[in-house]
Amino acid sequence: MELKLAWRNIFRNKRRSIITISSIIFAVVFSVTMRSLQHGAYDNMLKNIVGNYLGYIQIHYNGFWEEKTIDNSFYIEDLDSLKANPTIAYINHRIEGFALASHQKESKPVVILGINPSKESEHNQIKNSLISGSFLSNKKNGILIGKGLQKIMNINIGDSLIFLSQGFQGSIASGIFPVLGIVDLKTPDLNRRTVIMNLGNAQDFFGIDNMATSAVIGPKNDEWEKAEKSILTQLDSSQFEIMNWQQMLPELKQLIDVDRAGGTFVLIILYSILTFSLFGTVLMLAEERNFEFGVLVAIGMRKSIITRIALYETLIMSVVGVILGLICVIPVVTYFHFYPINLSGQMQEVVEQFGFEAIIPTSLNPWISITQALIVFSITIFVNLYTLVKIKNIQPTKAMRS
Amino acid sequence: MITIKNIRKTYQSGDIEVQALQDISLTIKPGEFTAIVGPSGSGKTTLLNIIGGLDSPTKGSVKINETDITQLPENELIDFRLHHIGFIFQSYNLIPVLTAKENVEFLMLLQKKNEQARNERTLKLLKAVGLEDQIHKRPNEMSGGQQQRVAVARALASKPSFILADEPTANLDSKSSENLLNIMQRLNREEKTTFIFSTHDQRVIDKANRIITIEDGKIISDTSQ
Repeated sequence: MELKLAWRNIFRNKRRSIITISSIIFAVVFSVTMRSLQHGAYDNMLKNIVGNYLGYIQIHYNGFWEEKTIDNSFYIEDLDSLKANPTIAYINHRIEGFALASHQKESKPVVILGINPSKESEHNQIKNSLISGSFLSNKKNGILIGKGLQKIMNINIGDSLIFLSQGFQGSIASGIFPVLGIVDLKTPDLNRRTVIMNLGNAQDFFGIDNMATSAVIGPKNDEWEKAEKSILTQLDSSQFEIMNWQQMLPELKQLIDVDRAGGTFVLIILYSILTFSLFGTVLMLAEERNFEFGVLVAIGMRKSIITRIALYETLIMSVVGVILGLICVIPVVTYFHFYPINLSGQMQEVVEQFGFEAIIPTSLNPWISITQALIVFSITIFVNLYTLVKIKNIQPTKAMRS
Repeated sequence: MITIKNIRKTYQSGDIEVQALQDISLTIKPGEFTAIVGPSGSGKTTLLNIIGGLDSPTKGSVKINETDITQLPENELIDFRLHHIGFIFQSYNLIPVLTAKENVEFLMLLQKKNEQARNERTLKLLKAVGLEDQIHKRPNEMSGGQQQRVAVARALASKPSFILADEPTANLDSKSSENLLNIMQRLNREEKTTFIFSTHDQRVIDKANRIITIEDGKIISDTSQ
């Protein structure tokens, strides 16, 4: 009977019920879309910078991050103990050093990145970044250059670049390498200054056999915090520095934090609008039904039963609103995940200047929908507490005079 | 049996203290068809509300079959009303989302009576008030007279010791009023239910077998006819 009454009460004032449910649908759609876009943008940033290039965790010889010289290299075998660590999916050793690159009359400072081509191709998108020419192999003596650098130095595939740098312990490093391919590293800054060669060539160039400057750690299931904790217990921190992406890219972390705070602020405004709009409806409903509640108490219905009926009404409308909201928003979020919003014009330039791809995909993380749905649901229930308080304090004679 | 002793009700209206009822004492026996009459503001509705446990007196006691309802905690008082008192209101006050049958059945559901008992009594009462062909209609699909007859059936459904009716014919035309009064009189005889009315309506007064007249919160006459 209680459920029947609640259900019929919803249809009693259809317009008000539709307005209430629509408010809930709008709030769910807006908050889930907004949060999905935000998280999608963060995920994309991380994928651009962290997933494709930097890695979630890097291990260096202590002090390398502050002073990126070849002298701060370590022996690869020193990290062999990590191979058995269950939190680690893979370890990619790299050499990162600076050099002066020359071609005809052009000279530019570049970053030489020595990688193991086959291993890197397995674990990140670096091979997919090739836009022309051929990729590195462990045997080929050649380099890949960023598309920006190609433009600046006016160099083509098959041409050679001459590098000059300081090698291990003050030695002179020099070499000439043919350009095998051009890569698009998605970020203009990286494209302008990156040269990639295989690890062996980089070791030869800098004179550091069996050594590397960094080890990129691939955490199992992207659980980098777990992997970081485990590595910290395993390695000697006086010899190695273990850095996560937030430490390596504090600006990115700050950018995400600031943006997230801004998003939260907008959501708080949305939640407030929803709260007041629902409260208006609830206030009207409680005042209108005050008389009826009085009659029900008078003829012998306990207030607890009336409270339950009112609560069922709220629950039914909230659940319907939230479910319809999710039904509306999930296809939208899914669509923009696979077909991201492409930024253009000035916005595109600004985003690319920060080193990110100028697209905003949505995140498909189900927790976003669940969390937002629960928040909206809780607000609806909270607002309806007014009706419950009103019922608790009802006096039949006063209510029936209203 | 309803025993009212030294009931006083005082309202505070701003700085002024209004004496709505002043030391009222009376006894109403089972099966009576009693009318409480008096001009507007004389205290009829206040007295009815206090007898029904909808309002509490400033002083005095109301005993219904040895239970002093002025001493009952809120939930017990609500349960007491459910099982012992039927109400008929001036504006019918049916539950708008329920049909005539469901409105009558409603109190029996609260009393947790089984479905068969509920159905039998509902149909019997709706037949008694002449609405057996309207059982699936909602209040907004019925006339005022029909709604008030449903309200009478609802008031009787829980088999109360007595029924309080606050100006039950006030919103009805003369034909509907006459019809309703005849039904209530018949139910009073058949169901042995005590009826207590507050009314201005001479037709109601004429049908009552006891008339209590109130003025300025005091009983000025109590006659049987």
